[in-house]
Amino acid sequence: MYPAIIEDYVRPTSVDEALKAAGKYEAGEAMFLAGGQSLMQAVKSRLVRPRCVIDLQALKELKGVSAGGGGIRIGAMTRYVEIMSDPNLKTAYGALADAAEHVGDRQVRNRGTIGGSLCWNYVAACMPAANLAVGSSMELLSATGKKRAVMVDDFIKGPLETARADDEVLLAVTLPAAPAKAGSAYKKWGVVTDALPVIGVAVYLELDGGGAIAKARLAVGGLATGPKRAKGAEAALAGKKAGDPGLAAALDKAASEIETQSDHWADSTYRKNLIRTLGADVLASAFARAAGK
Amino acid sequence: MNKTVKITINGEIFEQSVPIRLLLSDFIREVAGLTGTHISCTYEGVCGACTVQLDGAAVKSCLMLATQADGHEVTTVEGLAKDGKLSPLQQAFNDHHALQCGFCTPGILMNMDEFLKKHPNPSDDEIRTGLIGNLCRCTGYAHIVDAVRDAAKRTR
Ligand SMILES: Cc1cc2nc3c(=O)[nH]c(=O)nc-3n(C[C@H](O)[C@H](O)[C@H](O)COP(=O)(O)OP(=O)(O)OC[C@H]3O[C@@H](n4cnc5c(N)ncnc54)[C@H](O)[C@@H]3O)c2cc1C
Ligand code: FES
Ligand code: FES
Repeated sequence: MYPAIIEDYVRPTSVDEALKAAGKYEAGEAMFLAGGQSLMQAVKSRLVRPRCVIDLQALKELKGVSAGGGGIRIGAMTRYVEIMSDPNLKTAYGALADAAEHVGDRQVRNRGTIGGSLCWNYVAACMPAANLAVGSSMELLSATGKKRAVMVDDFIKGPLETARADDEVLLAVTLPAAPAKAGSAYKKWGVVTDALPVIGVAVYLELDGGGAIAKARLAVGGLATGPKRAKGAEAALAGKKAGDPGLAAALDKAASEIETQSDHWADSTYRKNLIRTLGADVLASAFARAAGK
Repeated sequence: MNKTVKITINGEIFEQSVPIRLLLSDFIREVAGLTGTHISCTYEGVCGACTVQLDGAAVKSCLMLATQADGHEVTTVEGLAKDGKLSPLQQAFNDHHALQCGFCTPGILMNMDEFLKKHPNPSDDEIRTGLIGNLCRCTGYAHIVDAVRDAAKRTR
């Protein structure tokens, strides 16, 4: 596998410059390059053949995690290695750190970015499912200077599809200020440790004063049709406390409402079992994080 | 189609006009002539043999264009020994017979060299997890883990 000829490479020092460079080409002919951990494979296998590569590495405003009164902002170019150890992503948004910590291997985590994963939206990717659970929002800027915010539910489409237009750059992933008692977690199972998930499950919980679930979001990745929320299960989780037998029933609901495929990694029934067992683990972690344990 | 890049490899500057599609792994091997960086998975990014350090971080050089490294510092396995003396990690690999054919070794050394800077006192679990990105078809990893553990001790 080797890349086909690439006509131009640019390394803009501002987002405007990056968008201008993209504007010189027909849609899809210029591609943004973040960590390259998906794009380079795609370029080498010639799944995509960009005429121009726009390397985002010098855009400082796209890097790093910042937290303020309004919530948390994760720059699109923030690498997994930074996300997995960020102090702001331990409790309410711990699912993002869980996902980052187990992506591939150290070398991939040293390069791969949250923005790249979300914009690529590979079927078995971890970040899309984790973001669906925590309910993040995508901040996009287009070549015409239009800025828009898109909720993750609307951003993530089918496999390798998102709501991002070819001439839009993802600036950041934003999260609302978390309520006091909120926790989330993500866990996956793959054929070898930290492999692309056969199934990945993420859950976000907000607890009321008595420790019962006030709000839940549960998302599953590793599905042929792309990551999905299990909304029936979310409704069934409401009002339940840690240890309640109703939690298992809610996970049964998730396993039945989510359509799973059979392939050479696992059959459909096995995938449904994974939704239950991984679901129980992430619920336990999310409860503990929400309770500050 | 071509770009002039300036990449510092093991302290030496290499400046050359190269095709944009040239991978960093090939720049290292063919332009700089440093063949210690190996290619073993036909550039799929899954074997780790091509691991080098980019500004100190372990990365797979077959998943990068050489132009991405323009202006950056790369360290390859040839850069580990200083004044003809093996680094403690290299010496530990030698002492523990942590290689057989040796094809995977440069990539493992470049990954573990950075790993030990971040984890000066690693558990065996941490070492094994740290090695996920490097395939070794010969050793079964046991001696590699021994060597990394011992190198940590020697470096502390
Ligand atoms: C060996 C290996 C193992 C892996 N294992 C896992 C795993 O277990 N779980 C997992 O989830 N993933 C895994 N991955 C994929 C990895 O997570 C990728 O890093 C990630 O999918 C892409 O992020 P990137 O920064 O490398 O983006 P790139 O590959 O550079 O880009 C991906 C796509 O997003 C676009 N893009 C990137 N940034 C922006 C932006 N800011 N605005 C607009 N468009 C943008 C690019 O144009 C491209 O189309 C693995 C990869 C490898 C090589
Ligand atoms: S040759 Fe780069 S990972 Fe295999
Ligand atoms: S020693 Fe032969 S592949 Fe590792």
